[in-house]
Amino acid sequence: MSQKPKIKELLVESACEHNQTRKAACNAPTPGATTGGCAFEGAQIALFPYADAAHLVHGPITCLGSSWETRATKTTWPGRDLTQVGFTTDINLNDVVFSGEQKLKDAIDYIMAHYRPEAVFVYATCVTAMIGDDLDQVCKQAAAKHGVPMVPVHAPGFVGSKNLGSRLGGEAALRHLIGTLEPETTTAFDINLIGEYNVTGDMWQYKHLLDELGIRVLATLSGDGRIREIRSAHRARLNVLVCAKSLISLTRKMQEKYGIPSISLSFYGRRDTSKGLLAIAEALGDTDLIRRTRTLIVREEAKLAAQLEPYRAVFAGKKAVLNTGGNKTWSIAAALQDLGIEVVATAVKKATEDDREKARAYLGDTGVLMMNPGAEQARLIDEKGAHLLLAGGRSLYTAIKKGIAFADVNQEKKKSYGGYAGLLNLAEDLKNALENPVFKLAARRAPWEK
Amino acid sequence: MGEVTHKRLKPLQINPVKLSQPMGATLAFMGVDNCMPLMHGGQGCTSFTKVYFTRHFCEPIAIQTTAVTDALAVLDGGDYSIVESVKNICKKVSPSLIGLHTTGLPETKGDDMSWIAKQIDFPLVYVNTPDYEGGFESGWALTCKALIEQLVEPARIVNDNKLVLLPHISLTPLEVEKIKDFIEGFGFNVLALPDLASSLDGHLGEKQAALSSGGISVNEIKSLADAGVVISVGDSMQNSAAALLKKNPEMRHQHFSHLCGLEATDSLVELLLAETGFSSPPLTLARWRKRLQDAMLDSHFSLGQTRFLVVGEPDQLAGICQALSDVGGKVKVAISTVDSPQLVKLKADKVLVGDLEDAELLAAEYDLIIGNCHCEALAHRQNKGLVVRGFPNWEEVGNSLKHDLLYEGGAYFLFECANAATTHRAHLAAG
Repeated sequence: MSQKPKIKELLVESACEHNQTRKAACNAPTPGATTGGCAFEGAQIALFPYADAAHLVHGPITCLGSSWETRATKTTWPGRDLTQVGFTTDINLNDVVFSGEQKLKDAIDYIMAHYRPEAVFVYATCVTAMIGDDLDQVCKQAAAKHGVPMVPVHAPGFVGSKNLGSRLGGEAALRHLIGTLEPETTTAFDINLIGEYNVTGDMWQYKHLLDELGIRVLATLSGDGRIREIRSAHRARLNVLVCAKSLISLTRKMQEKYGIPSISLSFYGRRDTSKGLLAIAEALGDTDLIRRTRTLIVREEAKLAAQLEPYRAVFAGKKAVLNTGGNKTWSIAAALQDLGIEVVATAVKKATEDDREKARAYLGDTGVLMMNPGAEQARLIDEKGAHLLLAGGRSLYTAIKKGIAFADVNQEKKKSYGGYAGLLNLAEDLKNALENPVFKLAARRAPWEK
Repeated sequence: MGEVTHKRLKPLQINPVKLSQPMGATLAFMGVDNCMPLMHGGQGCTSFTKVYFTRHFCEPIAIQTTAVTDALAVLDGGDYSIVESVKNICKKVSPSLIGLHTTGLPETKGDDMSWIAKQIDFPLVYVNTPDYEGGFESGWALTCKALIEQLVEPARIVNDNKLVLLPHISLTPLEVEKIKDFIEGFGFNVLALPDLASSLDGHLGEKQAALSSGGISVNEIKSLADAGVVISVGDSMQNSAAALLKKNPEMRHQHFSHLCGLEATDSLVELLLAETGFSSPPLTLARWRKRLQDAMLDSHFSLGQTRFLVVGEPDQLAGICQALSDVGGKVKVAISTVDSPQLVKLKADKVLVGDLEDAELLAAEYDLIIGNCHCEALAHRQNKGLVVRGFPNWEEVGNSLKHDLLYEGGAYFLFECANAATTHRAHLAAG
């Protein structure tokens, strides 16, 4: 048991300034009125992007069978991309009755013999946690046998939400990987990117700019990540949390243990990308670096402005309603404003206090923060004369009914909207949505209903 | 009928095609009108399932979870979570039925569903579907059986014009509709259980649905037992048919392992002619039969020189393997998600219960893959052709309107496969 992280401690995160005022971060879900993923999914999100490691899910088929190949976490790893390979013990009734440990051992041996990963992450799930399979012991023995890290991840779904699971994933990396290997070289500008999963290649929208500035990404958790790099992450000069409050416990502990300071930022939209780059340079504290970063930002913003020029006329005077959750409540709003679109309302029902404050700052006094978007958004579209609704698929009906353009906020799972260049992708997609006649045509009444 | 391996030989699944029982149960409940599927387990099972089907069907999916936590898993026998769930669901929506189905977690600790169901004063059907047993197909079939056992009222007389269709899980919404239309062409009033034809066919509704919209109604299910004829499609549905016959032994039951290809469709027509006493089917069917005959001849040259890998659920494999082999297609390997009595009957040289790693190791044996969208990476790596069928299909829109069976769908299916095979050969020839 000593190997397992203390969940209570993770729930009461001292580094989170809102924890005094808010209900416990991951309070119990309401039966019959709960949405959102479980802790296992959160751990999976945090760790699966390591393409050189195998991710073995010890449980029945639901956990992996429904979830593998669902996230486009891109990698440059030249070997077989293990982010897109699903491994599961797919336990059966026999394992539930007599324990699944032997099967787990055999599965690890099979993976090592056929795939030779740099590490194996072994994920507990509700059923295998319940029957008490000893992952720590199995992993310890397997690590000794195969000579690569075997990381038990104790985030079975029933311990809580996705957010807690991401914390537990970070905890597993801290306990079993970080600090277990020294980097070959170090530089004065070594940073870790924490919580950047490189979904659709988001990280690559700004990584080349860091390279150009001489800022070295020593390790990531976990986008385009490598096991070797995260093992030596303790030598970084700065931890950069990218849009991921869930991993704040990890960065705090790394500060306590290794003295690495951290900053939290977003690379979504023009202003946030510029602010983010500058924040990194300032945190590293080198005056020359700061000067060069400012120069680079001026250059990149000018380039972007020129590229966005053809879109200005399309977006001029356009108003949007945004219905999403989490950090997207303000980060997408900021990106829309960068394009010249007025954001008249954004949903903050599924957002933290921190997110709500940021949303208020971006929207100003006139923008509406919707606490009950399902009921409010249709009315606000009329009142504010919005032209565009950005939301999840369910809200398509609202847009159709109002005869306005619709864009699925989850498109970003297929295409990167991050960094400066991502804004061009967003501009193109929104232009296409605004110019598309389909939303009005699809709502046309049938001849027999007129 | 070739060599059949019933057991998985590895200690794990690598790139699985298998899906879980509770997910099959969810989908079955989606085929009941105004239903709220309620999955009993941790919140993740439900969340994964919701996202999975939303992406597959491009439709919002209504489903709720009992959200069992670690503390509740120890302290509660399931009754608290379920009673609370029903209460909370009814605060927001008014379903005609709650479809309670379990997952591995509550089954491991032994929650007693039949006892809990008795504590609940609301229309509810329960089914035990642990995900460490069975699979997608059995979850659907068990749910169908539970709907029959717990809802259908016994009857003693039959209405000869009424026919019940029990379709297996791999039939698309449009396929269910096509079978119903086909049978209705003979003058029957057809009810399908479950019926995805009107719920997940991808139609623009009046408003966003908080419950399943479309499907067979609870009242229709209750009065199924006075149908003259029961048709089950897919071997997984035989237990459901047996359960229905228990409600009224006067019903006449006919089973089809699948409805793909000329012979199976002919058998259905023979049955319907015998039941109605008609001497010939509707003109359009006769016309489509001729088109299928022509399609078989037109496609045989391409398909006759093609070696296939077919991946899917047992009942789905039965139909696809038959349709391909009818025109000389060589099904070299059929990979099933789970074991089933269907497997020994498959028209394939090699049949195994396995995953896509097995498929990868056998890559030298086939040219064209018929399977779900997880096969895309495999096809790309191994340079194979691909026709996407089955769950999931996240890459193509319009899945629910694909139809591969009876005379009409059979013709389209052969054309699509033949063209894919020809394109693939041209692609290989071009290097």
